[in-house]
Amino acid sequence: MISALKKELESAFKNIQIVIPEDNRLTITAPKDTVLTILSFLKDKGYDHLALISCTDWIEEKEFELVYIINSYGEKISIILKSRISRENPQFITTIPVFENAEPYEREIHELYGINFEGHPRLTPLFLEREYEIPPFRKDFDTRKYVEEFFDEIPFVEENK
Amino acid sequence: MRELELYFGPQHLGMVGNFSITLKVEGDRILEATANPGYLHRGFEKLMELRTWIQNFPLVCRINVVEPDHMEMVYAMAVEKLANIEVPERAHYVRSVYLELARVGSHLFGLWAYANMLGFDTVANWAMYHHDLVLDLFEELTGGRVYHIYIWPGGVRRDFPEGFKDKIVNTLHSIGGCVPDYDATFFNNPLFYERTKDVGKIARDEAKRLGAVGQVLRATGMKFDIRKVEPYAAYNNVDWDVPTREDGDVYSRLWVIRDEMIESVHMIFKLLDKMPSGDVYNRVPNPFKWNIPKGEAYVRTESSRGELGLYMVSNGEDKPYRVHFRTPSYTHGLIILEKLLKNASIADVGNIMISLYVVAPEIDR
Repeated sequence: MISALKKELESAFKNIQIVIPEDNRLTITAPKDTVLTILSFLKDKGYDHLALISCTDWIEEKEFELVYIINSYGEKISIILKSRISRENPQFITTIPVFENAEPYEREIHELYGINFEGHPRLTPLFLEREYEIPPFRKDFDTRKYVEEFFDEIPFVEENK
Repeated sequence: MRELELYFGPQHLGMVGNFSITLKVEGDRILEATANPGYLHRGFEKLMELRTWIQNFPLVCRINVVEPDHMEMVYAMAVEKLANIEVPERAHYVRSVYLELARVGSHLFGLWAYANMLGFDTVANWAMYHHDLVLDLFEELTGGRVYHIYIWPGGVRRDFPEGFKDKIVNTLHSIGGCVPDYDATFFNNPLFYERTKDVGKIARDEAKRLGAVGQVLRATGMKFDIRKVEPYAAYNNVDWDVPTREDGDVYSRLWVIRDEMIESVHMIFKLLDKMPSGDVYNRVPNPFKWNIPKGEAYVRTESSRGELGLYMVSNGEDKPYRVHFRTPSYTHGLIILEKLLKNASIADVGNIMISLYVVAPEIDR
């Protein structure tokens, strides 16, 4: 079942790598411009449940990795689709045309990692109330330094004698 | 009629709190709803990158206040998968019993929130009392009432104490004995029917398109439960059924929750009967010097709200490189809620929101 899917994917798309790390898991690594077509290909094959869009900051390789986790309603298989983009120019394409529930996930990644999704209808803030110089979930954002700079020390209250 | 903007929450009697909705209304009809999460954003996923694998447990359980147990489970499962740790057979059973107790407790708490919002104060107080009985069990087992930190990579922290099995059975019998009362006063009450039938209705195709899971999907007649699709712990070893309803409205969702509670209680009895003896814990390396091999994992469990997943990346160090929780309330509270509130009346906002089982801390993380 899963190896058949692997063969189909390999014949349909040229420049992707597919690994089966364990039973019922399939990992696809694909370039940015094929992500949308792969997602709609998988959706047509019955993998119609987008469970999660995540992002990993690989700071040493100067890349962001976007991770799409696609399941199906009914089968055990869950597919991890990964695509890397450069850290200097974090631009990606929105996947809302294929999966409608991608909207809040992309909004969150835009806010926490500063990745711009072209074609997304509302990239407004989701969780945060302030503007940050470096988006806070990037690896070079120092939480301790931020707290020390932003918040005052708690004043020491002396008890009345 | 004039268009007005109305702020619903974060402090409002009709909702559970820490979440707000901006409504655009015309008279009593809602034209547009915008969900505003973020009142409880604590950045747990970032904080976890700065702590060792074991130190993360106190953070993990605080992601969802109502049912921290499934959070522990999904985190432990991901660590076990990355580090290749086996779990003893008895620990699987103990975990299942513990998680099902958590499901019963969480559903009772949800029933409290729902009945309280609708004005069924008697039922709400019963549910809260029974929820407290479940918390008593947790207190005896783990020492904590709300946050337990009981599940651990490699098993559970300690075995059931002496006589605990009987206590579970007694407590569940006394809760189960009240099901006819619940039915008579609440579930079969014509007021409840009038108030919820055909409210907040979602069709099966639309629910699937919007990524619904859990009760929201099962109330549209779809048998989708991760415990059946990809069994973990000891769910494969006992016989049980996934309750569903057909209509996809608030009424169906509440009935699914009721049926699920009863199914969980039956499942606990079966699990207790079949429970093998033996160890409940496989030793893991010294947690202070524990480097987990490089890799990534996606694991999923069925929490009492639906599919709960965890994507975890390890860089071969003593801390996780990236942790991302896929929580069921995320899609329910941000997309489906906005869709269902369109054209609803203001009086149904809390009705729809609580029936979708939205828990704000789970969205914000």
